Amino acid sequence: MSESTIISTQNLNLWYNEKHALQSVSMRIPQNKVTALIGPSGCGKSTLLRCFNRLNDLIDHVKITGEITFDNENIHAPGTDVVYLRKKVGMVFQKPNPFPKSIYENIAYGPRVHGVRDKGELDRIVEQSLRHAAIWDEVKDRLNDSALGLSGGQQQRLCIARTLAVEPEVILMDEPCSALDPIATAKIENLIEMLKEEYTVIIVTHNMQQAARVSDYTGFMYLGKLIECGRTSDIFEHPKEELTENYITGRFG
Amino acid sequence: MESSKNAESGSCASPRTARISVIKEQAIKTVFFCTAFLAVIVVTFILLFLLRDGYPIFQQVGIIPFLLGSSWAPTAVEPLFGIFPLIVGTLLVTFGAMVFAVPLSIGCAIYISELASPRIKSILKPAIELLAGIPSVVYGFFGLIVLTNFIRVTFDLPTGETWLAASVLLGIMALPTIISVSEDAISAVPREYKEGSLAIGATRWQTISRVIVPAALSGIAAAIILGIGRAVGETMAVMMVAGNSAIIPDPIWNILSPLRTLTGTLGIEMGEVAVGSEHYSALFGVAVVLLVITLIINLSAVAILRYLHEGRTSRPGRKPVIPSYLRESFIRFLEIGILALFIVFLLAATPWYLAALILLTFGAWYFGRHHLSQHQIEIIASGFIITATVIVLAILVIILQDIVINGLPALSWEFLTEPPKDLGRSGGIYPAIIGTLTLVAGAIALALPLGVGAAIYLVEYTREGRVTRIIRTGVDLLNGTPSIVFGLFGFAFIVLFLNTGVSMLAGQITLALMVLPTVIRTTEESLKSISPSLREGSLALGATKWQTISRVVLPPAVPGIVTGAILSIGRAAGETAPIMFTAVVFSSRFLPDSVFDPVMALPYHLFILATNVPGSSANKYGTALVLLLMVVGFYSIAIYVRSHFQNKARG
Ligand SMILES: Nc1ncnc2c1ncn2[C@@H]1O[C@H](COP(=O)(O)OP(=O)(O)OP(=O)(O)O)[C@@H](O)[C@H]1O
Ligand SMILES: [Mg+2]
Repeated sequence: MSESTIISTQNLNLWYNEKHALQSVSMRIPQNKVTALIGPSGCGKSTLLRCFNRLNDLIDHVKITGEITFDNENIHAPGTDVVYLRKKVGMVFQKPNPFPKSIYENIAYGPRVHGVRDKGELDRIVEQSLRHAAIWDEVKDRLNDSALGLSGGQQQRLCIARTLAVEPEVILMDEPCSALDPIATAKIENLIEMLKEEYTVIIVTHNMQQAARVSDYTGFMYLGKLIECGRTSDIFEHPKEELTENYITGRFG
Repeated sequence: MESSKNAESGSCASPRTARISVIKEQAIKTVFFCTAFLAVIVVTFILLFLLRDGYPIFQQVGIIPFLLGSSWAPTAVEPLFGIFPLIVGTLLVTFGAMVFAVPLSIGCAIYISELASPRIKSILKPAIELLAGIPSVVYGFFGLIVLTNFIRVTFDLPTGETWLAASVLLGIMALPTIISVSEDAISAVPREYKEGSLAIGATRWQTISRVIVPAALSGIAAAIILGIGRAVGETMAVMMVAGNSAIIPDPIWNILSPLRTLTGTLGIEMGEVAVGSEHYSALFGVAVVLLVITLIINLSAVAILRYLHEGRTSRPGRKPVIPSYLRESFIRFLEIGILALFIVFLLAATPWYLAALILLTFGAWYFGRHHLSQHQIEIIASGFIITATVIVLAILVIILQDIVINGLPALSWEFLTEPPKDLGRSGGIYPAIIGTLTLVAGAIALALPLGVGAAIYLVEYTREGRVTRIIRTGVDLLNGTPSIVFGLFGFAFIVLFLNTGVSMLAGQITLALMVLPTVIRTTEESLKSISPSLREGSLALGATKWQTISRVVLPPAVPGIVTGAILSIGRAAGETAPIMFTAVVFSSRFLPDSVFDPVMALPYHLFILATNVPGSSANKYGTALVLLLMVVGFYSIAIYVRSHFQNKARG
């Protein structure tokens, strides 16, 4: 591949207690592209995604072996700064999760915790992030209202803006549209299209068309294994594995 | 339609039997309604009787002079009935208790919900509940013997019975309330907020301080208000360590001055007053004021918690009540206010070098924090949180070990099975043990059916509406009523009005009324935790409402109900104030013959030994230990039952 790799895993295994949820996953995420992860429910997509920013650390009794690198650095190496990793690898969750604060405070939260205190600078970041997430026009007159008063689609774009505000390199998205209607979904898909110029996006989705529309690369997972990974056009048009073909064509349980 | 099927017999019932079953269902519902409404009636009665007996003093002295009069001298030749010093005393003691308890509790609550590993959590939570289970007279006893002595020596005073002692002791007693309610609030913050914040690259401490605690703020506020309510209504412990002079400290922040609270006044003087005299009426006036204060405090806490609960269940479109800029300036104002009070308190309460040290630390922290790295801040913050938790645990250990070590030598077979001799200096405490057990048994026998009935009505028979709101408010009010007020009510209503005399029965009824809210609440919780689909499943088979409740809903709720009952038993066994004027005598050779005889009781026995009988050290500690073991025993059983069945339910 010609693109440079930003995240890669080598022989990654993960257990929740006894459950072997990820089995020898080795994959490479190219920089400034959109990579989609697809696969049936429970196959480990979210688990894999949460490995990339070490959010699985929060769960008790998780065991991980193998290697994950970000910018060629092992993220499990002793002395790794998890906080820095999470700043660089942002995440958008399946269910929009704005904080119970005002819209402005939601966006300003990230820069603040990373030490920005200048009011003008914060204002600039807030506006820029909201514009970037294509929600500025809808909220610019109500920045001091509670974020919980926004619609689901607006909340999700707010969460994307919140992630952008800390200037990550990678954005992880776990089924970001599953709680949204088609119009809101279309907005988010357009947004992803724009984002890939500056960011690397990894998106989990259950929607084949969505994966085909927005992604450059696609990985197909099944029962904790990465079955196949490659250019989206290849995966969808000439899958190498029968499992993949069955899943994509819907001939699947 | 309804009458066509009868699941019980499995055959078609005739219209006649169907009508009977409708009547039966209606009757059952009515009975439950009555039990539920009892709480409202009791609250009304309490208020009426206190007002009835307090009215003459308001009439004679006038409300304003009564409230604002600066001198309380009820037994002087020219008696004066001004309760202002008592109100100030109550406020000061409560304030001091909160200064002590709030930082410790919140630190400890954060530690338990955010930092502790599951194993440490499983040790800490029961420890906190244990702290809640220690009877107030045992706290008072500990305060009188250990704490006041410590204060006397440290500050070189003639006596250690001071505002400081009362505040520290009340602070300790408020710890478990504040900790457990704040911990619930913090744990209830949705996990997504935490993940959202961490995923942005916030540190753990930033996440706690900027997202989790703010999101839990109203719950924490309610916890503090409940703690205040507990402190305002506490009688025995305060009375034993506050010194009880009805003066306003001079200067006002002199925490080494003795003072007297509203509750203390009632506890001290009620026993010696002539029924129907001016003084008697003045005491009921004091009780009215006390009741009003605590009711306001508790209702506001309940309102906050309920608002939170509803807010959580009906989420969409909720706007912040207060615009954020207003809120921020309000919080800033509050912070500055609290800080100022804290500094004054610090300067007054501690030697100057200690105050200077603490202030310097705070100042350095405040101005230096922007120069610290996030990592250093995280370490400092965890340090504070862990220190708070360790202090809370240390308090528990100190109290327990003092009582256990000094009490064990007194324990013997004779001590447990013989009546007291020589005013309790020697001999045993057998009649007191039996007295407490019978009081408690009678109380729970009354409260359990009433409380369970009320809960069944509230959960199963009504939709939320005006009636349930009224009943719930009644229960909340009853729950917030100070135990000494129950004592006064029991005296005025049961002992005098119903003319039972000072008797076991009067004590049992008073205690039953006091624990009623606990039984109602725990039963309600356990009924609510049973899935509606079970009920629907049973009703869909054609079972009647009562059949559904008694065969499907109640059986799985039994462990919860039992837990509530045992907690109530523990609480009733440790209470002194409600039985002090209604049921107990200090010393008696014989066991009571009937429920119309007065009895001995452990908490009261300990109280009298500790305050009125010098030189009975071994027996004091022995009594305290037995009482502690009894109450803690009940609490442990309750905790065990609960966790046992919780684990079982989880599978
Ligand atoms: N905290 C956990 N503890 C134990 N097992 C877990 C936990 N989280 C996930 N699992 C298990 O690990 C497996 C993978 O879960 P994961 O959430 O990654 O699936 P997914 O592919 O994201 O599914 P979905 O499409 O439904 O979101 C599942 O079998 C799940 O039951
Ligand atoms: Mg998932």
